[in-house]
Amino acid sequence: MRKRHLSLLALALIFALLLPACGQQGGDGHVTLTIMGKTSDLQKSYMAAIFDRYEQATGNSLKIINYEDAAFEETAAAQFEAGNVPDIFMHFHNSDLERFDVAEHFYYLNDEPWVEDLTDGARAYCEDSEGNLLGLPYWENSISGCYYNKTILDGLGLKPATTQAEFDTLCQALADIGYTPICWPGNGCSWMIQFGLDPLFADDPEVLEKINRNEISYADIPAVEDMVRWIADAAKKGWFGSDYTRTGWDDIGPVMSSGDAVMTFIWDTWFYTDMTHEGKYDIEDFALMPVFMNTADGGTYEGGNLNMMMVNKNGSQLEAALEFLEFCATPENYNAAFDGISTVNCFKGQTTNIQSSMVTNASVSIADKMRVSTAASRIVGYSAEDMVKALEELLNGRVDVPGCVSLMDSYRLKEAGLLPEQQNE
Amino acid sequence: MGKRFGKILPALMLCAVGVIIVLVGVLYFRFITERIYEDSTGHLEEIYGQVNRSFGIFVERNWGLLDSCDDYFALAGETDDSAVAVFIEEKQDYWGFSGFYFLTEDGRCMTVDGESQIEMASARSALEALNEPVIAGEALPDGKEITVFAAPVRPGVYNGFAYDAIAVSYTNADLSDSLRVDAFSGAAKCFVIHNDGSVLLSTQSGGSVFNSYLLYLQAASDLSEQETARMQRDWQNGVSGLLQCQIGGVTHCILYQPVGYQDYIMLSVVPQSAISAGFLSVQRATVTVLVVIFLLLGAAVLTLFILRSRKRSRMDRMEVQYRERMFDVLSNSVDDIFLMLDARDQSVDYISPNIQRLLGIPVEEARENIRVMERCAVNYNVVIPREELAAIPLNGNRYRECEYMHQTTGERRWYRMTVYHMSIQEVEKYIIVLSDRTQEQQMNQKLQEALTAAQSANEAKSNFLSNMSHDIRTPMNAIVGFSMLLEKDAADPGKVREYTRKITASSQHLLSLINDVLDMSKIESGKTSLNLDVFSLPELLEELNIILLPQAKAKGQSLTVHVQGAPPEQIMGDKLRLNQILINLLSNAIKYTPEGGRIEFAVTELEPPASQYVKLRFVVRDNGIGMSEEFQKHVFAPFSREISSVTNKIQGTGLGMAITKNLVDLMGGIIQVESEPGQGSTFSVELSFALPERQEETEAWVRQKVTRMLVADDEEDICRDIQELMSGAGVDVSYVTDGAPAVELAVQAHARGGDYDVILLDWKMPGMDGVEAARQIRRRIGGDVPILVLTSYDWSDIEEEARAAGINAFMHKPFFASTFWQTIKPLFFEPAAQTEEPAAAPAENVMAGRLFLVAEDNELNAEILTEVLDMEGARCEVASNGREAVEMFQRSEPGYYDMILMDVQMPVMNGYEATRLIRASGHPRAKTIPIVAMTANTFAEDVRNSLDAGMDGHLGKPLDIDAVRELVGRLLGGAAPGEAEKSEEGEST
Repeated sequence: MRKRHLSLLALALIFALLLPACGQQGGDGHVTLTIMGKTSDLQKSYMAAIFDRYEQATGNSLKIINYEDAAFEETAAAQFEAGNVPDIFMHFHNSDLERFDVAEHFYYLNDEPWVEDLTDGARAYCEDSEGNLLGLPYWENSISGCYYNKTILDGLGLKPATTQAEFDTLCQALADIGYTPICWPGNGCSWMIQFGLDPLFADDPEVLEKINRNEISYADIPAVEDMVRWIADAAKKGWFGSDYTRTGWDDIGPVMSSGDAVMTFIWDTWFYTDMTHEGKYDIEDFALMPVFMNTADGGTYEGGNLNMMMVNKNGSQLEAALEFLEFCATPENYNAAFDGISTVNCFKGQTTNIQSSMVTNASVSIADKMRVSTAASRIVGYSAEDMVKALEELLNGRVDVPGCVSLMDSYRLKEAGLLPEQQNE
Repeated sequence: MGKRFGKILPALMLCAVGVIIVLVGVLYFRFITERIYEDSTGHLEEIYGQVNRSFGIFVERNWGLLDSCDDYFALAGETDDSAVAVFIEEKQDYWGFSGFYFLTEDGRCMTVDGESQIEMASARSALEALNEPVIAGEALPDGKEITVFAAPVRPGVYNGFAYDAIAVSYTNADLSDSLRVDAFSGAAKCFVIHNDGSVLLSTQSGGSVFNSYLLYLQAASDLSEQETARMQRDWQNGVSGLLQCQIGGVTHCILYQPVGYQDYIMLSVVPQSAISAGFLSVQRATVTVLVVIFLLLGAAVLTLFILRSRKRSRMDRMEVQYRERMFDVLSNSVDDIFLMLDARDQSVDYISPNIQRLLGIPVEEARENIRVMERCAVNYNVVIPREELAAIPLNGNRYRECEYMHQTTGERRWYRMTVYHMSIQEVEKYIIVLSDRTQEQQMNQKLQEALTAAQSANEAKSNFLSNMSHDIRTPMNAIVGFSMLLEKDAADPGKVREYTRKITASSQHLLSLINDVLDMSKIESGKTSLNLDVFSLPELLEELNIILLPQAKAKGQSLTVHVQGAPPEQIMGDKLRLNQILINLLSNAIKYTPEGGRIEFAVTELEPPASQYVKLRFVVRDNGIGMSEEFQKHVFAPFSREISSVTNKIQGTGLGMAITKNLVDLMGGIIQVESEPGQGSTFSVELSFALPERQEETEAWVRQKVTRMLVADDEEDICRDIQELMSGAGVDVSYVTDGAPAVELAVQAHARGGDYDVILLDWKMPGMDGVEAARQIRRRIGGDVPILVLTSYDWSDIEEEARAAGINAFMHKPFFASTFWQTIKPLFFEPAAQTEEPAAAPAENVMAGRLFLVAEDNELNAEILTEVLDMEGARCEVASNGREAVEMFQRSEPGYYDMILMDVQMPVMNGYEATRLIRASGHPRAKTIPIVAMTANTFAEDVRNSLDAGMDGHLGKPLDIDAVRELVGRLLGGAAPGEAEKSEEGEST
């Protein structure tokens, strides 16, 4: 490990010497790279740290072009349209990225030296459907799954589930005892649904492409209806408790820390940012198992949404930009930048960040069952709020399961502008 | 109290039966449930005992398998690993285990493929602890859980791996299938656990989540600590047991039994409902059947009850409808009115429909508000006030008499209103009955009127009898008195004649009195009928004049007759009755007008009711004593005579006006009277007469060249009437109102060479009277022009003088064209005969020498008649009845009898029948001999009956010898006794 670090440091020095010659050289031979991104993203502490570290280490300059969050997509797209493509472009790998014509503007990073250091989850997130690595993930990572109160389970003689059947049995066993098996924040919270949908689209990219091409709909995917029916049944059986429709974001912490509910579908960093520590149970009492929503028998985890830095392949400072990414992906640098940051590792060599024991203990399972956040990011027109709206219609008895799925499709198509009347317009 | 208990008794009994049924049902259900529990738990123990034994066999077979492997491995030795691998593979194919492992003392293990991926810590520790075949749970690297059957074997080496134990493994999923049973609807769960509760394997889908079922049960079930502790002790001691507890609100049966290997326990957890499902279904079916039977029975009873209630209700309704209908019909057929009011608000529950017929109040209107009856009130408020109604005690009643008036017809009705206050089905009602008293009331009124009338009639009768007594006794007194005087003064012929004359006068009066009484009686009894025939109005007036003029003349009264207008001369009517009416009026006028008074008789033609009729008004006006206003009101009532000093002196029956009124009524006319005491009276009678089809031709005058005439009368109305009447016949009439101008006109006409064709002169004119005028005309123009005198007076006194003055003929007023024509016709066609006709010969005694056959059953009457005839120089032969008269006639020679005087009412054979037999007999004079009725039946009908029977005339009894004489003269004419026969025979031959 030590040899590896030394070699990387040497490589960085060489790059530092070479950069003035390759980049947009100033009068002193240093280059200035342009980086475009959202204002809030670029102001993250670890981003500022790596930018400083780069400029200090190389003498190069970074020209930060930031746009307000709300106007970012439109403004950046206009700049691209005008030919003002930056050297480095920061963006999440989601459906909005499509408008920036990835293949036309960005460099595939498959062969970069730091690629092997990426964790599987992070790398998968940054790859397109053909396995091309689009950017360098540089962000706080997280693992979404079913976080459960292992203290309670142990006390009840119960174990975490490994299959959907076990999960259902576990829920019913907890319900029989009198616990609320799952804290389901039905009041305005919408992320749970995408966990269930991820396996359907992440495991089969063709399905994702077809639905984005409007060749199929949710109704054509039986597992979507299975998921919706499972949610309806779970609600009916009381697995979400009796008050779940009024349970919102702020209620999750108290419910979980009090032990009223035993499990919830959330991500690890939530325990550090929003978990209430005033209840009977603390973070140490929790553990992680996959989310079971009747779409993957072995369950699923969702990897974090990562901001990634992409390189303008048509830019005059391509090499300098690639060197910048390599600088950022150097263990010394990312460990320095993410020192003390609570995040799941994006790099295998990350050591200074804070990663929860819950994730660590479930690492084998995570490695086996983690999916890239696909549904929310990649399905065109997907709106978590619309999915919740459709689900509310179901749970309030106004539509049945097929009707709910149909509503989800309608909302999606409307959001994507694919409804017939919108097309006519 | 007893009544109320009687009402609720059926309900109490029903409740008691229901409670008993429920109690029996609960006890039955409990008994069945206990039996089911016992049977079902026994069933559970039986099934899982079998499962446990099967699992034991499976375990034993695996121990056997491992033993056989050990033996084979020992034989194969260390050098032939491939054979070992093949052997194991064959065994795996046969036994179906998922893995085969070689185990070392330090806990490592190796698969047949030489891999060492798992650590069988549990199995190793068990082997070390027990040094015998064991069963242990392990987990594969992929998380799959397996159950391992491990056994210590002889140390060996496989593939370079030294081992001292071998094991086969089965995935828990596969193994669970062998423990799963299909019974209990798949709801049974079976676990193989250690005696500390940790789970080796589970048959439940997803059952791997149970780590310690003991902990789970403690948390999830309602088992008490003692029960849990006892169960745990049983597990420790390898004792079977059965528990029942609640898990998740569902009753479960927990059966535990030792597997027989190590500390394993086979734990079966089954919902009680699943265990007892079969039994429960039977129980449910039984209960359902029972419930259904009870429900059906209940429904049947309820349906029967409802049907009977409906039927009863329907019958009640129908009965009510029938009763209402019947009551409506009944009330419509009576005149009583029925009402029912609700005592609470006095709204109308029922009102009989005849209220509209009887009082003119629409039923609906009365039903809406009973107060509308107040409109019909006549005497006082017909609707009893609320306070008064409320004061009627329950089961009490009130009544009052009421008088109503029909709203549309105004008819009065009387009712007795009775109000009953009663309770009908615990609702207080007022039943009001209006009993009709109208007929009773009307009858009372009629009775009162009848009583009054009877009293009045009785009074009238008394008056009549009193009057009649007076009126009869008066002439009878005279007759008796003068008869006595006659006997006394029989020797004095002067006194005899005087007494006889007065006796005759009194008898005549008495006779007229009797005639009037009888006539009135007949009219009132409705036996009077009219004999309609064509008669001549001028003739009628002429006859009246002839009859009444002498009476008026006798009293020095003037009687004038006027005919206004030109009434037809031939009319259709009952001349006799009209004559009777007018004679009554005129004779009354003469009677009640003092001497020298004036009586006027006028006939006026009125507007006829139809074209074929003539309507005449006959007015008799006098200036006599008149009548009081009070008497005028009942002047036409029978036996009414005004009592006064004047009338008392006048003989009368008081029936004349009543007869007249009744005859006028009978003829469809009206009679009126206007009078003033001392000023006279005016009676007017209006009658309509049918006109005969053919009237006298008026053109006759022109044909006979009578075209101009001169009239002189001081009454210009008469002149105008004549002018009008004759102008219609084409005769030009000139008139003057005095004799002198008449003379002048006649002279002037003669001077012009155009004499009048006829000159008509009134007798009495203020200036020159008619006789003088005629004399001067004859003197100045000669005797060619016919001159007639028109007069209302009897001209017999001046006839000789008048004829000497040149008057050709006389005419009675009023002037009628037909009379005029009949009068002047001889003057135009037989002037010589008229003028040369000698004066009439003195009257001849037509009675002398006649022989009469008299049929009279009364000997006295026969004797009187015989004497009377004898006085007249005639004879008679008397038959005592009709048959005898017929026989006498038939025996007689022709011409023997000159006439037959036939009484009508006779024994053996009456006069009518006798007459018919005589007429029908073969006697030569059967058809011609005059037969005259001689009877006391003097009515017109009697006259007609006589003529119908074949008689030739009618004489009323008592006989008036003058009438006899006149009739004989008329019937026998100038024929001498016996000559009639001869002339008849001559004519016939």
